[in-house]
Amino acid sequence: MAKSFKEMLAESGQELEFQSGGKAPDKLTPREIIWEAHPRIEKLKEIYMDSLSSTNNEFPYWYTREYFQHDNEIPVIRRAKALKTAFSHLTPLIYPGELMTMRKGSFFRASFPMPWLSEGFYMANESSFYQEALKRGSASVDEHSEFGQGGGNVPKSFGKVMSIAGKFGMRQEEIPVLLELAKKWEGKSVDDLGNKYERMVPDYDVKEAIMRSVVCMFDSGFTLPQGREVANYYYPLEYGFEGIKKIAREKKSEVAGKADGDGMVGMNRLYNYEAVIIAIEGVQKWINNYAEHATWLAAREKDATQKKEYQDIAERLFWIEKNQPRTFIEAFQMIETIHLAILNEDAISGLSAGRIGQVLYPWFEQDIEAGRITEDEVLELLEQDRLIKTSIDCFASVGVVGGVLSGNTFNTLSVGGVNKHGKTAVNKLEYLIVKAGGTNAMPQSNIALHYDETLPDDFLALAADVIKTGCGYPAFMNNDIAEQFMINHYGHEGMTIEEARSWAIGGCLETSPSCWKPLHLNGKEYFIPGGAGQPTSVGVHFIAMPKVLELVLFNGVDKRSGIKVFEPHNKKLETFAELFEQFKAYWEKAVDVLALTNNIQHDVWRKNNMAVFQSLTKPDCLDSGHLINELGYRYNATFNVESAGNVTCINTLAALKKLVYDDKKYTFEEMQDAIENNFGFKTAHEIGKFSLMDQEKKDDATKKYDKMHFECLNAPKYGNDDFYADEILLDWENWFCEHSETIESLYAEPMYSCQISVSTHGAMGSATLATFDGRLQGTTFADASLSAYPGTDKNGPFALMNSAAIWDHSMSQNSQLNIKVHPSAIKGPEGSKKLIELVRGYMRKGGFHVQFNIVDSKVLKDAQANPQNYRDLMVRVAGFTQYWVEIGKQVQDELIARTEYESV
Amino acid sequence: MEEKIYRNSLNFVPVDVAKGIDRSTGKRVNADDIDPNYERMPKCMHCKNFTLNEEKIGLGICSMMGKEHLAYPDMAAITCEGYDEK
Repeated sequence: MAKSFKEMLAESGQELEFQSGGKAPDKLTPREIIWEAHPRIEKLKEIYMDSLSSTNNEFPYWYTREYFQHDNEIPVIRRAKALKTAFSHLTPLIYPGELMTMRKGSFFRASFPMPWLSEGFYMANESSFYQEALKRGSASVDEHSEFGQGGGNVPKSFGKVMSIAGKFGMRQEEIPVLLELAKKWEGKSVDDLGNKYERMVPDYDVKEAIMRSVVCMFDSGFTLPQGREVANYYYPLEYGFEGIKKIAREKKSEVAGKADGDGMVGMNRLYNYEAVIIAIEGVQKWINNYAEHATWLAAREKDATQKKEYQDIAERLFWIEKNQPRTFIEAFQMIETIHLAILNEDAISGLSAGRIGQVLYPWFEQDIEAGRITEDEVLELLEQDRLIKTSIDCFASVGVVGGVLSGNTFNTLSVGGVNKHGKTAVNKLEYLIVKAGGTNAMPQSNIALHYDETLPDDFLALAADVIKTGCGYPAFMNNDIAEQFMINHYGHEGMTIEEARSWAIGGCLETSPSCWKPLHLNGKEYFIPGGAGQPTSVGVHFIAMPKVLELVLFNGVDKRSGIKVFEPHNKKLETFAELFEQFKAYWEKAVDVLALTNNIQHDVWRKNNMAVFQSLTKPDCLDSGHLINELGYRYNATFNVESAGNVTCINTLAALKKLVYDDKKYTFEEMQDAIENNFGFKTAHEIGKFSLMDQEKKDDATKKYDKMHFECLNAPKYGNDDFYADEILLDWENWFCEHSETIESLYAEPMYSCQISVSTHGAMGSATLATFDGRLQGTTFADASLSAYPGTDKNGPFALMNSAAIWDHSMSQNSQLNIKVHPSAIKGPEGSKKLIELVRGYMRKGGFHVQFNIVDSKVLKDAQANPQNYRDLMVRVAGFTQYWVEIGKQVQDELIARTEYESV
Repeated sequence: MEEKIYRNSLNFVPVDVAKGIDRSTGKRVNADDIDPNYERMPKCMHCKNFTLNEEKIGLGICSMMGKEHLAYPDMAAITCEGYDEK
């Protein structure tokens, strides 16, 4: 009987599912804290849990119809008119029991294609889609019951529902028009136009080879061109939509016909202000349609309570359609509406709501004081907000939605941190936000807790309680480190210490520039934070470090596909220094060509597909008259270079250094041979399984590689406070962060390093050969950027944190460390204190981010075997929380295998 | 012939592409089931301005305000200013 990887590890003294610091109880340990949401929310949540990700053509139909009526119009006006028509025609949908309303489209989990960005990924299946749509007419919807697993995903077609991108369901009746609309954008979409021009970049063939061999995960400009940023709700909250239109009209009069010293784009201000007015009119009509629908519902409703609620919804919507909100619930409804409007304008994941505890505080304070609302009612609204945010889907290709995002849309909330004056920013509303994270534990919004030494102890204790519910949040981010990064990177754009304090997390873990704005309510002034920067996690997307290293070892050729990716280096690589230098050289080449090509994609995006609505919300577009595409945002140096597989690569370099260069136990050729032969294991592709757990030795194995494999597995590993491995991390980070700053974005600003994995460690691992740290071909990399590879962190959490904090985290936009802890290790108030002390210790060492999965691995294994019993189980992966049943098996297995700390 | 099913009815609150809620009873229903309390929902297929394309299944022409545009019979027309019921 062939051995499994797990058995081989055990023989070598390693262990997947390693238990550190003790032994987990034999019995399955449930979560220590279980809270419940308000009954109204639980009822709405039941609908969510039973709903499928659904899509239709309403928005793209009206957008396309309007857009093509305006040939030769000024591009920004054409875009605004198309947006206005699309928003105006969205069918309103209000569910009984909801207090706040509006959604992306006319389903609970609605999203829609945007063929003006990219149509290729579903047009590639045109013929089969169409034929299947025709032949499926007679099938029964009863087949739906087959889809209990996978949460709300629609992984395959059933009945009259077609699966698109393995996630979204679309009615067969919509398929013909889906394809007709897509055809109208062929050759005109950002994807197609971008490709036409990026081909003019010298070495474009290298970019193609990089993408085909999965050295890089995906393109930037047409996939999710915006997001990973913080929304700004200030202008509508301060002026109301009519007020903004008034400002824009006045500005039009001021700038019409004037260049004002800017011969390039000064004249554009007139068109931009006009576009702002048009876009707002579209959003106002959308709100009005919902208000009318609520009125219609109220008129036919027999239940008095429900009738009143519909009437109240209508009144609120009619008011905020035009005016500054008067009450907490009106303000909350308004920011929900703005959030959804921004998401409907473009394909976006990672639009973070930001520090809404401070944004909404003026209304909270005044309503509580006047007795217009109770804290319990606020909590209920915050619970509904979580449901609204979790219901947000983003329509994109399977590679993006599945391979990278795991279906997550990253509408993160930030709490904590400091105010404009450097004092703790925590307020009573933020306690309720954190509490709602526990009472209505759902993947969205992730809660990012900006850790600062001034945070109140009871606030941290509440955070620990919420973590103990098993939801995977709050995550802790180091406020000081983030402020330093802000000053380092945005100082040249005018970032001050005071303004740096307004930062927040955009997306899952992207430190994003923000600013303070003075909000006035009933004669009182409040300074509220909000996003002031362009999208982040744009530019050079995930480059797999282990894959680049593999290409160094094999002279530029991807052995898996046979593609020549880079020019052969033809070096003997006789020293570790020479190896490391060549690794950097290939990295530079990859970054260079990816930056150039993605700059072109984004440039095409900004010419025809610029954000109009989102621009009017972001400082300082309304003041300057320039939108995002003309550097209207206050901070524009937001593009980045993203790495993936950091720890797997560091471990591999450490093993090479130790076994090939320092100890000279194996020759370079022997090492190559072992990697090519997957250490004597079958390949993951051969057995059709890509998880760590499932790897099998070849039946006829000669044990040729066993000794070497053992030694590779036992070579120095990151995560043990062992300088041998950690020094390589330190050297890499110092070089990588500095190099990233030398790359220029299309906005002529320096880029920076971004170190998050999202779900790429699974997908990119599957395209990578075995690595010399002992990891096998096709299996996942280590999670995040600083999480240890499963089972390799032997010396406890503080040693892991020492390794992680060896470099200066303020050089990078982020770093990411996830730790799995058994619930019994932090039981009771004393356990909570230990957890907080662990966080505090890491933050004091200079770590940027740490987050915990508080879960018994036995629960995860049971959930994998019996997913039908775990529809609401959530786990933390990289920088996000997701339902267990909605993530792929590779990533599930990595989580199960990860070291479980039995004591802290 | 008019399909008096939930997904064509104003008595239906869609949850997803396959199912929703019967507004009258509050019960979960399949989108393609017959709705006993059917109320016609405005859709292009019921509009005087819409002409079905006999050659291309699922497509048609909207001739609202004198111009011709691509259209499709199943699209909701609740918010359409040119909807004119047959």
